[in-house]
Amino acid sequence: MSVSQAYHILFSAALIWFAVLLLAMLIRAIAGPRITDRILSINMIGTMVICCIAILSRLLQETWLVDVALIYAMISFISVLILAMIYIPNRKSRGKYAEEVRDEVRREREWLTAKQAENAKESMETIKEDTAE
Amino acid sequence: MKDWIIFGVTAFFLLAAMICYTTAVIGAYRFGFVMNRMHAAGIGDSLGLLSVIISTVVATGFRLDALKLILLILFMWFTSPASSHFLGQVEYYTNPHLFRHVDRLTETEDKTGQQEE
Repeated sequence: MSVSQAYHILFSAALIWFAVLLLAMLIRAIAGPRITDRILSINMIGTMVICCIAILSRLLQETWLVDVALIYAMISFISVLILAMIYIPNRKSRGKYAEEVRDEVRREREWLTAKQAENAKESMETIKEDTAE
Repeated sequence: MKDWIIFGVTAFFLLAAMICYTTAVIGAYRFGFVMNRMHAAGIGDSLGLLSVIISTVVATGFRLDALKLILLILFMWFTSPASSHFLGQVEYYTNPHLFRHVDRLTETEDKTGQQEE
């Protein structure tokens, strides 16, 4: 077996394994319960595709594929940035309902903490009654 | 003989990258919360990409495209923490059940409440 054949087998195996991992991350992106899970999976898929392009540039002996990888990295970062900016209310580029979402989340959080404190108080009272008896 | 040594180094770094990425994907499935998943994804973003780029650079030899690949590593190392930071902010502003996973929520709430555009 010559060296070029060995390189071909090695890089092909790596690409196939990357395809399996990409599929797994795509399933994670579809199944992720919240939006941040999805954005994170998309970010991860972007990094893996960059690796695939870098391996492919060596496998096909085409140096221009490295430029494609660079541009892909920039576009992947910008996509994550824009998707995140929609939900951050302190930015100029925020979405239409970002502030309403923030206020609603804040209200719900306060309600949940108040409920938690109430439950803790009730449980403390029952414990006190039990010990008094 | 020299070719085979270079091939061995390439295979070693590529296997290391594969292990890193597999760890990252397993972590993305095993952890139950986004912040923990971010930690798992950081492995692939930093060490996995570094190993892949080292293996391709060793395989091709140090030419002009090796410089571009090193530029790619630098770019990814600068942008991956930034995107993690923004994802954390999104999680903070949209998840009402954050205090189930994060301690000392009230302190951070005071700090971020003072930020203005």
